[in-house]
Amino acid sequence: MKFVAPVFEVSDLDFKISNQKILDSISLKIFTGEYDAVIGPNGGGKTTLVRMLLGLQVPTSGSIEIFGQDIKKFQGWHKIGYVPQGTTLVDTSFPATVLDVVLMGRASKRGFFKRYNKEDKDAAYNAMRQMNVMDLSQKMIGSLSGGQRQRVMIARALASNPSVLILDEPNTGVDKNSQHLFYALLRDLNKNNNLTILFITHDVGVIVDDIDRVFTVNRSLSTCNNPKEAISCEDISKLYATSAHLLHNHHGH
Amino acid sequence: MNMFHYEFMQNALIAGFIIAILASLSGSFIVLKRYSLMTETLAHSSLVGVAIGILTGFSTLWMAVIVSILSAWLIEYLRSSFNLYSDAILAIFLSGSLALAIIIVSLSGAFNSSLFSYLFGSILAVSNHDLIIMGIFGFVAMILLIGFSKELLFLVYDEEVAKTSGIKVKWLNYLLITIVAVTVALSIRIVGVFLIAALMVIPTITALQFGYGFLKTVMLALLFACLSVFIGMVLSYMFSLPSGAAIVMCVIIIFIISLIINK
Repeated sequence: MKFVAPVFEVSDLDFKISNQKILDSISLKIFTGEYDAVIGPNGGGKTTLVRMLLGLQVPTSGSIEIFGQDIKKFQGWHKIGYVPQGTTLVDTSFPATVLDVVLMGRASKRGFFKRYNKEDKDAAYNAMRQMNVMDLSQKMIGSLSGGQRQRVMIARALASNPSVLILDEPNTGVDKNSQHLFYALLRDLNKNNNLTILFITHDVGVIVDDIDRVFTVNRSLSTCNNPKEAISCEDISKLYATSAHLLHNHHGH
Repeated sequence: MNMFHYEFMQNALIAGFIIAILASLSGSFIVLKRYSLMTETLAHSSLVGVAIGILTGFSTLWMAVIVSILSAWLIEYLRSSFNLYSDAILAIFLSGSLALAIIIVSLSGAFNSSLFSYLFGSILAVSNHDLIIMGIFGFVAMILLIGFSKELLFLVYDEEVAKTSGIKVKWLNYLLITIVAVTVALSIRIVGVFLIAALMVIPTITALQFGYGFLKTVMLALLFACLSVFIGMVLSYMFSLPSGAAIVMCVIIIFIISLIINK
């Protein structure tokens, strides 16, 4: 069998801010086609870890490889779609339609001095269809609700046909009732497009049944390979001593 | 109208339109990036260039362009490399460069009416030599802005996501502020150091009131800027007003009208 490099391989990663350890010897591997969650309490370092995978922050020590390549030399960023927190404030008068925003996902593919062509527009429409925002395409981005905007941001990430999708707190702004539909949609993307998905959440209650793995980040990392039995994963229950019953109820145990 | 038969008026109008186009195009990105104060700061920095020009006898326009670009790079470097508040850096440059300019001008003993024209603009000030410099810089800057417009839009909308999608944001940031620095420096002849920020910022703010997509918004900003420059210059000729002041008053009147229309 041909060796396939993991999507992400993190080894012995430390991150310090003025001598205080934010992340402590983190090592992990994420493989193609996984649907994983990163959880942990606020301030536990989960967003910092994910920002490092995206090259937005540099670790104090340790290494990160993406598709087998050192992150400093990695050029294939268009393969990685990133959806930041939905709460990121966008000026309500920002002069861009939904289509303008989704097309941004194609900007780095097209190259300088070139306009978007039919291929770019087709990819954008395709992504909007998948995320169910086709009818919003001519609406101004600032006029959308939080949930709608979140789906547009995912459509933008999908427009570049990425092989990895990273989402930071994707359920922010999505009402409780549609959260299950939302995660089912992510699962479909994961299965149908063979898209590796990694999402951050602070809300243990949303961990869905068919997720592959759960990474718990609270300065150090522990991995839970069978989230269906998440309740028996010691670290998770320790971390969320008070909210463990939430998980319990959610899974109907 | 008779006034357009004069060569100085033709020069002023051509220069004015070059400035209007550049200021509104680059101004759109700067406003959306929430970097409006940068224009005011660089305007003050160009005054240092003007002062050096007056003191040494070199071309004031060239000196303004050079000093403005160097300040823009220094500001961007400080902003990205040190954990300083970026608006505080702008405040330091804003007052610091004005102080420096005034000292240099005082040393050269040139506190006179020619300085006044750099501060508030004059339709009499544009020489053929100036026009050539403005034409060359203006053309290059405009091509770059149009060529990189989709990347710049992504950058001002969401810098981090643009970076993770593979866009060279650091490079683009430097490109954008360099273009702004050049635009600001070129405009001091017509609009003046103290008033150029208004021509860069207000047409975009006015266009935003209409709630269109990006391309239409930029086109509207361009239209408002050109209209203001034209009417402002005619008023400046008719009533012997400093052209920058007349232009900025037109920009503001158009802004107020658009507020009322879009209420």
